[in-house]
Amino acid sequence: MAYLIFSITLMLVYIGLAQLLHIQFGMLGIPNFGIVGFWGLGMYSVGVLNVQWDFSFIPALILTLLLVALVANGLGRLILKLEGQAMLCATLAFSAIVALLVITEKWLTEGVVGLGTIKYPFDAGAMTEPLYFLILLLIVVGIQLFINKLHVSRLGTLIFSIRDNEELAASLGKDTVKIKLELFTLTCALMGLLGALSAPLNQFLTPNMLVPSVTFAVWIALILGGKEHSMGAVLGVFITFGLFDLLIESYLPVAPEYAVMVPNFKLFLYGAVLVAVLMYRPRGVLGHSAAGARQELP
Amino acid sequence: MMNLAVRNLSKSYHQHPVLNLTQASFGKHSIEGLIGPNGAGKSTLMGLLTRRIPPTEGSIIFEVEDKHHDLIPLSSHQVAQIGLVKTNQRIQGFESLTIRDSLRLACTPPTQETLKSVFSKEQLSEAVEAEIDDYLSRFTFNEPDGYARSAGEKKLLDILRCLILKPKMLLMDEPTAGLPEDVTQQVMQEITRQTKANDMRIVIVEHDLELIWSFCEYVHFLVDGEMLFEGKPEDVKANRVVAEKYLGL
Ligand SMILES: Nc1ncnc2c1ncn2[C@@H]1O[C@H](COP(=O)(O)OP(=O)(O)OP(=O)(O)O)[C@@H](O)[C@H]1O
Ligand SMILES: [Mg+2]
Repeated sequence: MAYLIFSITLMLVYIGLAQLLHIQFGMLGIPNFGIVGFWGLGMYSVGVLNVQWDFSFIPALILTLLLVALVANGLGRLILKLEGQAMLCATLAFSAIVALLVITEKWLTEGVVGLGTIKYPFDAGAMTEPLYFLILLLIVVGIQLFINKLHVSRLGTLIFSIRDNEELAASLGKDTVKIKLELFTLTCALMGLLGALSAPLNQFLTPNMLVPSVTFAVWIALILGGKEHSMGAVLGVFITFGLFDLLIESYLPVAPEYAVMVPNFKLFLYGAVLVAVLMYRPRGVLGHSAAGARQELP
Repeated sequence: MMNLAVRNLSKSYHQHPVLNLTQASFGKHSIEGLIGPNGAGKSTLMGLLTRRIPPTEGSIIFEVEDKHHDLIPLSSHQVAQIGLVKTNQRIQGFESLTIRDSLRLACTPPTQETLKSVFSKEQLSEAVEAEIDDYLSRFTFNEPDGYARSAGEKKLLDILRCLILKPKMLLMDEPTAGLPEDVTQQVMQEITRQTKANDMRIVIVEHDLELIWSFCEYVHFLVDGEMLFEGKPEDVKANRVVAEKYLGL
């Protein structure tokens, strides 16, 4: 039971990250390959403030939000005017730098030894974990409501126009640089928030949590679900994380003698689903329906 | 009084000069033409004037309604905001926006495009929606509530998007290339009407010289990045240099 709650809480973190990537890439066209960097910065910042400097959780969370927002804003100023591929490399490099600093700055992060223990911000006995799950659920629902509103708002129209043709949008008097920077800062800060909230979930932080595969998992989920659809992130994480990591890996009823095969079987199926979706629905499972994705195929 | 004046404006790509104007000025007449052979630098000049292309050197001053704007420090969205707008020679558009949304985008003030406004119910004013309806009733699109599909529709939408911004000065880069003849006439009548009604100024780049002679009060002639001649249409028509370099007479 405890493991199930931990897993679905972690799934909510992934949903949140994918939702934010939907805003960044699906709506605005910014290919952020540094997700694990913002998430990890948030997680380690709370960890360091909490464990090393005895901040209690809420002040640590607020400081962390500010720190990640500041870093994202600075990075945004440098990279948002670059071409797509350069942005991709720059964000990926950013996350590598975060991971490296966590290893080298031992006085702060304890390096490869690991940093802990980070306790939950409240103690409700056996209800602590379920309550914490509810908090994350509220955040994810909140982000989803924001996305739904954004899709039909005037700002949403402007965002789509920037993704389609930024230069043309600017020539109509739109301050595209400012809008992009604002949204990038906000969404990256929220990635940091999800990281901060992941700290008590993981309790003990190690540098190997900051590997790029976190970023890739979020990307795969979003592409699979449909990057332009408002619900693509949620569906994508349900398929990748929910179906494969949770259901098949942990809860598939198999005879013990076959259990060793499960991870390989899972990877095989995962690959097959990915290939099938990209072949038959290149814009993701939700890619063709009109509701969230405004684009209609000619 | 309106004046868009350039001085010593030059643009080079990889040390290769494509534009070099000692001085030129636009906006003294309501409709002016800018003509010249292919590669003369007409589009480059319009890109420089709207700050979409960074100049190598020079100054651009836009005087409008007793205000004096130095355009060099501005970015392209600021130039549009003070009323200098350009339509595009190459077809450009927003592929995921419907025709109506595209026009709405142009009319939406920045205050309705903030993060805060995502949660407010504020709509475009009825007057603006009525104006969009008016344009869409006068100019025919196959599906006014759908997407612009043909090249002609995209070109027309590009022009309407600029007109609905109510610019002080509109630069039109080959507006009629790709437009059917009847739509061309409709567009020309509309801009002529608006120059009178809204005191808007137009500069048109065109290879269709009949259109230039019949609509423009003043014509600039550009060759190899230099303004070789300018004057009234009849003077330009009669000019020997223009005849030699462009009309092929
Ligand atoms: N981005 C660029 N890089 C290099 N050279 C360029 C670039 N843009 C334009 N040029 C060159 O500058 C010159 C002027 O081009 P421009 O498009 O301004 O001509 P134009 O007068 O608009 O011609 P047309 O009537 O064919 O539209 C051309 O020789 C062109 O090849
Ligand atoms: Mg041209």
